[in-house]
Amino acid sequence: MNRELYACVHAAELPAQALLRLRPELRAQPVVILDGPAAQQTVCALNQHARRRGAALGMARLDAESLAEMKLLRRSIQAEKVSRSILLECVSQFSPRIEDALWNTLWDEERQAGQATACAFVLDIQGTERLFGPPEQLAQRLRSCLSAAGFHVSIAVSANFHTARLIAAHRGGIHVIAEGQEAAMLAGLALTALDGDAASDTDLAEILAQWGIRNLGELAALPEAELMTRLGARARTWSALAQGRATYLFRPIQPALRLEEFYAFETPVAQIDSLLFTIARMIDCLAQRAESRALALATVTALMQLEDGSSHQRVIRPALPSLDRRFLLKLVQMEIGAHPPQAAVTSLLLQAEPGQSRQMQLGLFTPQMPEPSRLDVTLARLKSIVGEDRVGSPVLEDTHRADSFHMLSLIAGHAGADQRLQGGSGQAPQAPKLQFHRLCLRRMRPPRPVSVLLHAGRPAVFHDRKQSFKITAAYGPWNSSGCWWSAAAWESGLEPHGSAAWNSAEWDLLATSPDGAPCACLLSHDIQGNIWHLEAFYD
Amino acid sequence: MPSAATLQMEIERSLAARFPAALSPAPQTHREAAATGVAAVDTLLQGGLPVGAVSELIGAMSSGRTSLALAFVASRTAEGRICAWVDAGDTFDPESAAGSGVNLSQLLWVRCQGMQSSPCHTDLPQAGRRRVQRQPWARLDQALRAVDLLLHAGGFAAIVLDLGDTVWEQASRIPAATWWRFRQAAGSTHCSLVVLGRAAYAASSAAIVLECAARQAKTSGGTILSSLEYNVTLKRDRSARIAPCPFPARRATASTWTAQPGWTQQMRRA
Repeated sequence: MNRELYACVHAAELPAQALLRLRPELRAQPVVILDGPAAQQTVCALNQHARRRGAALGMARLDAESLAEMKLLRRSIQAEKVSRSILLECVSQFSPRIEDALWNTLWDEERQAGQATACAFVLDIQGTERLFGPPEQLAQRLRSCLSAAGFHVSIAVSANFHTARLIAAHRGGIHVIAEGQEAAMLAGLALTALDGDAASDTDLAEILAQWGIRNLGELAALPEAELMTRLGARARTWSALAQGRATYLFRPIQPALRLEEFYAFETPVAQIDSLLFTIARMIDCLAQRAESRALALATVTALMQLEDGSSHQRVIRPALPSLDRRFLLKLVQMEIGAHPPQAAVTSLLLQAEPGQSRQMQLGLFTPQMPEPSRLDVTLARLKSIVGEDRVGSPVLEDTHRADSFHMLSLIAGHAGADQRLQGGSGQAPQAPKLQFHRLCLRRMRPPRPVSVLLHAGRPAVFHDRKQSFKITAAYGPWNSSGCWWSAAAWESGLEPHGSAAWNSAEWDLLATSPDGAPCACLLSHDIQGNIWHLEAFYD
Repeated sequence: MPSAATLQMEIERSLAARFPAALSPAPQTHREAAATGVAAVDTLLQGGLPVGAVSELIGAMSSGRTSLALAFVASRTAEGRICAWVDAGDTFDPESAAGSGVNLSQLLWVRCQGMQSSPCHTDLPQAGRRRVQRQPWARLDQALRAVDLLLHAGGFAAIVLDLGDTVWEQASRIPAATWWRFRQAAGSTHCSLVVLGRAAYAASSAAIVLECAARQAKTSGGTILSSLEYNVTLKRDRSARIAPCPFPARRATASTWTAQPGWTQQMRRA
């Protein structure tokens, strides 16, 4: 029969850890985190280096500033929330049954504001020996995993839930407590270790202090029956906690996968390079987290809070979900380069949507295709050269109006082939078998206004850009009109170009240019405005 | 006294580190060709336009270069391949392309524009203001940069660089090094780079130069333009092919083909 086994992961000084996680260069420096209104800021968290320099919790900002080489950062609740979810995600790799160890110990206000200065999770690791080895090995792997994510944690493994939780919260490092040794391990903890516990009682603590009971070992040594006689049933719970035999009903939570990273800059960042330096780390973390779940990043959204109070959001969508950090960073760089924020950035939230990374079986006889990830970067570069809406695949619109189309992003590779197959009848679309070769047009955009000389109601000569073209043959007119039923078109004056409606006559002309070269062109005559336009050349 | 063959072997062995096979003639390779879809032109080119090389279709306006290029792109997309059309003059007509049989979902259209905007990459607060440069070279510069990017991205079966409306004075000043680089990139990525222009710009980097010209127009009943007939002349063919015999038969250097407007087919159906 398997015995119960719990591992508790405790991350102390969460406000400091949340900010230092993405700032590895500050981890070797003394850092304190300030919280509160601007005039009354006090230290709410600090690292070991700061503690050695004399900093302490509750210290005023002026006192902290007076300490040499002290780095002061402002607390970020958003960063703590993100760090908590990342920590939860990391530990969920080791067990599906996880409970938030501090949830019951927090006050309601703290829960609502998310202002807990520590973060602890208890994992039910019963039956995981075959996967992760003995508890010592599991604890080591757990700490390595969290260290890679930027967390410094203490871990305790015990068969008793509360023992694991208390030891992890008050003893640093890794502790694996053998069965029956719980009371011995807890004996050294001060009685205040039970503060904030569900069973806490200030009156009871005061009475025990008057009796000279200062640690859990002394409390556990008191005879239970006499203790209950004098202090009531609540004292029994304390005694059981101190002896390491308090029972607990495990209430696992179900962590949702939220791929988010948050970074609050100390000073507004006005350089794209500096921004990208931070984004690179964040993408790295996101990709690592997605990879641990055998997923890839389908979209990445960068939400920037700007110095002027506004926000700026950019979204990148690779053709295929990817884990290639350099590729994703390049896409973000191109996107922000093409659409830069209008002010300096104060904070940055990077959110990613996970997607399944695809594996394709390639064939020897499949035609060569652009590599999707490389094509994404190429398209982004092309857009930065010619414009956002000037690169893509043209799609014809369902209208008789000339030159009506819109652009869609090119989806190449096997993903595009898949989409084309799904959109159709299951077979790759084949070009229609033509009986003859099509005469093609070269469009003028916008159509060039020309002056036309008529002879017997038919064009005889037209002038374009100071050049005179003698018309040798004119075929037409071919009248066309459309969208005259649209109210918006009438309001806009029925202009043939630039409004929804059109009413024009087209002429196919064979002409001779001034240098004697023959040409075939398409002229349109706006009937309402009596304006002629050179629409296209046949070529 | 050593024979000539022995001497050749000794010389080649001694120079092997610097010049591999110094005295041996370079082996001829058969270059792959892709059909243009126009039978007369394919016959003239003995198969089609070369793959992994630069081809030029030159001629004046209404000479049939665009129709020929679109027919080529249509035949490539019909094989399920991806093509690109770099449009320096923004004159590409998607409707004509679709009518020619081009699968538009497999075509990347790059529309160059006259204005060149470049964001400042250093300072974010000023980054919103873009420098807008109006210069005559912007379109050509964009087109060349786009072709460079597409060639190096790889995977495109054909790239058409449309310089049909670019004035000769500008296009002829494209450095020869640029064409050389395009030729190398096209060769390494197995891509057919087709250049449409008023004259031949790529010089010795072009494997094929086809000169197009309008021949005559035909009408139907004197009221409808029914077809245009074009002449195609092979001005240059440097695509390496294995000659079938030491003295190949004299090739034809010109051909004729016909293109018809879309309504002709509709009339036939009716």
